[in-house]
This record gives sequence, structure tokens and C-alpha cells, in this order.
Amino acid sequence: MRLLHWLPGRLLSAVVVLLGASILIFAAVRSLPGDFAQIVLGPLSNEEQREQLRQSFGFDRSLPEQYLLWLGNAARGDFGLSLASQQPVLDELASRLPVTALLAGMAMLVTIAIGIPLGVYAGTHASTGRGSVAARIVSTIGISFPEFVLGCLVVFLFSRFDLGLSVGAFTSPTADFGRGVVSLLLPALVLSVFCVAATARTTRDAVIGVLVEPHIAASVARGEPKGFIIRHHVLRNALIPVLTLTATITAYLLGGAVIVERVFNVPGIGSYLVLALDRRDYTVIQAGVLLATAVFVIASLLIDVLTGLVDPRVSVAKKGRGA
Amino acid sequence: MTAVIRVEGRRRSVLRRAWDYLASFDGLAKTAMWTLAVLFTAALLGRLFGLGGSPTAIVGPRLAPPSLAYPAGTDSLGRSLLPRLLEGVMTTLLLSAVAVLLTAVIATLCGIIAGYRGGRTGGLIMRVGDILYAFPAIVLAILVAAVVGPGYVAALCSIVLVTVPLMTRMVGQATRLVAQRDFITSAVISGVSTPVIMTRHVLRNISGTIAVQGTYALSVAILVEGGLSFLGYGVQLPGSSLGLLVQEGTLYMVKAPWLILLPGVILVLAILAINLIGDSLRDRFEPREARSLE
Repeated sequence: MRLLHWLPGRLLSAVVVLLGASILIFAAVRSLPGDFAQIVLGPLSNEEQREQLRQSFGFDRSLPEQYLLWLGNAARGDFGLSLASQQPVLDELASRLPVTALLAGMAMLVTIAIGIPLGVYAGTHASTGRGSVAARIVSTIGISFPEFVLGCLVVFLFSRFDLGLSVGAFTSPTADFGRGVVSLLLPALVLSVFCVAATARTTRDAVIGVLVEPHIAASVARGEPKGFIIRHHVLRNALIPVLTLTATITAYLLGGAVIVERVFNVPGIGSYLVLALDRRDYTVIQAGVLLATAVFVIASLLIDVLTGLVDPRVSVAKKGRGA
Repeated sequence: MTAVIRVEGRRRSVLRRAWDYLASFDGLAKTAMWTLAVLFTAALLGRLFGLGGSPTAIVGPRLAPPSLAYPAGTDSLGRSLLPRLLEGVMTTLLLSAVAVLLTAVIATLCGIIAGYRGGRTGGLIMRVGDILYAFPAIVLAILVAAVVGPGYVAALCSIVLVTVPLMTRMVGQATRLVAQRDFITSAVISGVSTPVIMTRHVLRNISGTIAVQGTYALSVAILVEGGLSFLGYGVQLPGSSLGLLVQEGTLYMVKAPWLILLPGVILVLAILAINLIGDSLRDRFEPREARSLE
């Protein structure tokens, strides 16, 4: 397997990136302005109480010590207690994760279902004038609409006029899955617009790149039907850069969720993170941001492995070696 | 003016050549450039000559719809929206442009070093880029804003941190492609010093990539500034930026929709224009052959 040749190195670099990110997060959160003990205990506390609190959270130790302690606990799934609610951070995040996961999952589904066909159409019609210009304008508008503008616009339209769906009425998907999906429909659509357009653009470029290759001309010359060529020769090659883009899109969905959840008042991880920053809830910020980067790092690792499996050149090489 | 653009023999002035260069773009990109030029000029006129009045003075009734006296309506405090809009355009464009200029300098430097020299320094640069790239853009931006404190500096820093990793990577890739070419090898053999090769040979050949990536970075910059100000971590009142105006507009969305529609539309137009110019530049510097299956 060729995969096994590069996988260890790729795993190592993922670990390095995660460790680097964790150091960065730790340093950033520790340099946040404001005294931690003062925030937790309020203005009426005395110095003795504050000192006691700092000791109980380990803030009296040296910074490297604190970092290692935090990392060690985090590796075992213990992110400490939320300073605001005194509940374990892991539980707080876990109770909000299903909402954000569903939101991002729905947006991802829309992205794949619309973005790829759109890109294939634009790519296969690239040299026929009108369609190409239309596709270019539509996809460029898509990547130019910030989700806070689009979200506000959707909230405005749906609250001003009776359009069938209500905004702001959130149902938890863990309580009632069907209604939860319906209440997340508009946020997911808003979240997906950028990703649909980005996917369409990448797919279009990839398809154009494949179409000029000689093996496509050979297929056309053999008289293979158009749909067959697209499915078997074009898509299989063109989907590799699209697959790579999926990692970026995952990160984008997590970031975009912060804003979309804020606009639509969805109680997910994103809005919780903004709340935690407002409240200077150190432990929650550390865990939340680390979670976001970890999702990206793991997603891009999985996608690299998947690309290795899908890429026909890898399997050809395998066959050639007789492995 | 006529003296400047006078044609002297076969050598034409810089201005004339710049104009010809801009004129060689396709219609869509030209429209985009005009849009940006109009937005910037209006904002500049607003700054220099107080077009539309003062952005902070309370001049009229609250939440008045657009009229002759208040061309863009008034906000919840009775301030005319037009001057605030112009100030917002200026802030957003200027802030993003300065940030992207910084990004371009940092990314070009790091990218060329990483792509041409490689080795331990190059590896380190790429690794740091990977780490920054692992943060979702807006999450990184609010983290920076929380550390630095909300305001212009926070917006500037977060735009740079968000846009540098991708641009460094692209510049690095382009540099590696150029570094393999024969004219670089022959320059090395002729004993040209490394800094000279980097600036005279590598930099000139990757300038297209820098222009394309810089343009895309500018659109990302406006997005990040908007998102950050929208969440309340970017530009602060009484200042004005397009993201901040949209955020303010959400409060009176139903009663006074122009407060959110006008800054929203301008924001989208600006990003759209920049992206279209970026696409046009990319088609120019990285031309691709297109073939259809018909």
C-alpha cells in the first residue's frame, strides 16, 4: 500500500499542528485582559479568597506547568469546570454539540447536493459563452455574500412577510428531531451558500482541467456517451481537488456557525463560544477553540487518507508493483 | 493633465500605460473596477468635503425613511445614515487595504524564503502557517480581538493572521515552480547572489500569483472585518464600518429596513467587485484552455 508510506508522516504533522494550536490557544487565553479571580468572585471578594481560588485552579504555578497540566487533562477528556456555570466544560460543550453538528451536517449535504452538479454543469459548458458567464456571476455572488448580511436579510424577509417558515423559534433536535431539522433549515441554507459557490467554482475548474486531457478526447473519439464520460472519466478525476476542499469547508462551516447561530439565535457551540468570550470564561474558550481546530485537523487528515484511497493513480501504482 | 498623458514618440507615460492596462480587462471586471472607484470616491468626498453632513451629529427625526433631506434615511438616534455609510465604506476599505498590504509583504517574504530556500526555515514557516490555517477564520479573529481588545487594531491583526497562511502557501508553491526553471539554475551557476535571484528573478515571475492572491485576500479581509464588527469585536462606536452598520441595522430591521439593506448591499457589492477582479486577474496570469463536451 502506498498509503502506508506517507501516513505516518502525515499523522505526525497533524499532531504537530494540534500541539502548536494548543500552545497558541493557551497563550492567547492566558494573555486575555482582566483578572480571572476578580471575574469569578465579583468585586466584593477579598484578596485572600482570590488567592485561594487561584490556587485551586492552579494559577499559582508557572505557565509551562499550567499548560502541561491543562493538556494532560484535556487529553483525558477533562477540560475543567466552566467559570461561569461551574459545570464541567465537556458536558456544556457536549450538550450543544448536536445542534452545531446537525447545522453543519445539513449545510454540508446542501453543499454537496447543489455545489458539485452546478460545478460540473459550468465546467462542461465552459466554452459555450452564455452559460459560462451566468455560472461565473452566480458562483461569484455566492462567495461574496457574507453570512451575517444574508442571515439578516433572511431573518428580515421571514419575519416581515409570512413565508411559511418561522425564524427564531428553535426546537432542540435531541428533543424532537423532525422539528429540530425544520427549525435549522434556514440557518443551514444561509450557512451553505458560500460553500455551495466555493464547491461549484472548484468543481468547475477541476472539470475544465480534466476535459482538456487527451484521454477525454480519446473517449469522445471512441463514441462513448456524454453522461458516461462525465461519470466515469471526468468526475473521478475532478473530484479529488473537491475532496481536498471539503476540509476547508469543514473549518468554514465551524467558523460560519459562530455568526449564523448568533444571527438566528441558535444555542450551539458557536454562540456559546461568543458568550464565553464575553464572559471571559477561560476554560470554555480554551476547550471550544481547541475543539474547532481539532475537528479541522482530523477532517483534513481523513480527507487526505480518502484521497489516497480514491485517487486511481494510487491503485494503479499498487497494481504495478504487484502488492 | 494633457502634459502627463502626451505621447512622446513610442514611449508613453506611466499613467497612459496604466490606463491602457486597465482598459484591456473584460467588461465584467471593468464594471467591478468602476464600482470600487465610485464607492471609494464617494467615501473620499465624504471625508474631505463633509458630503452628506456630519456622521455623528443628530440632525433629524429618528428612523426617518430616505428622503431629499436625508438621502439614506436616519438611524435610531436621528443621525443621517449617508455620512455614516460613507465613513463606513472608507473605514472598511482602508482597514482591509492596509491589512492586505501587510499580508502581502509578510506572505511574499515568507513564501519566497520557504519556497526557494526550503530547509529548516522553510519547513518552520510552512508549519506555523499550517497551525494558523487550522483555526476557523472568524474564531481566530475573535480570539485575537479578545486579546488585543476590540477596535481597529484588533480588526487589522486578525485580518493579517487570517489571510497570511493561505497566501504564504500559494506564494511558496509558485516560488517552487519558478525555482525549478532553467533560468534560475543558470543564474545560480553564473554566481548571482541569492537575494538578487529572489528579487529579480523569482519575485518578478510570481508577481501574478501575488496580485491574484492579494485580491482574494482583500475580499476575505472585508468579510473578516464585517463579521468581527458584526459580533461587536471590531470597529467600535462612534466609529463606523459596514459590518458595524449592519449590526446596528438588525435592531430596527422591521421598522427601518434601509438601515440594514443599504450597508448590506454596499458590502456585498464591494466584495463581489473585488472577487470579479480577482477572477479576471487569475484568468490572465493562469490562463487555462477550456473545452466543452458538445
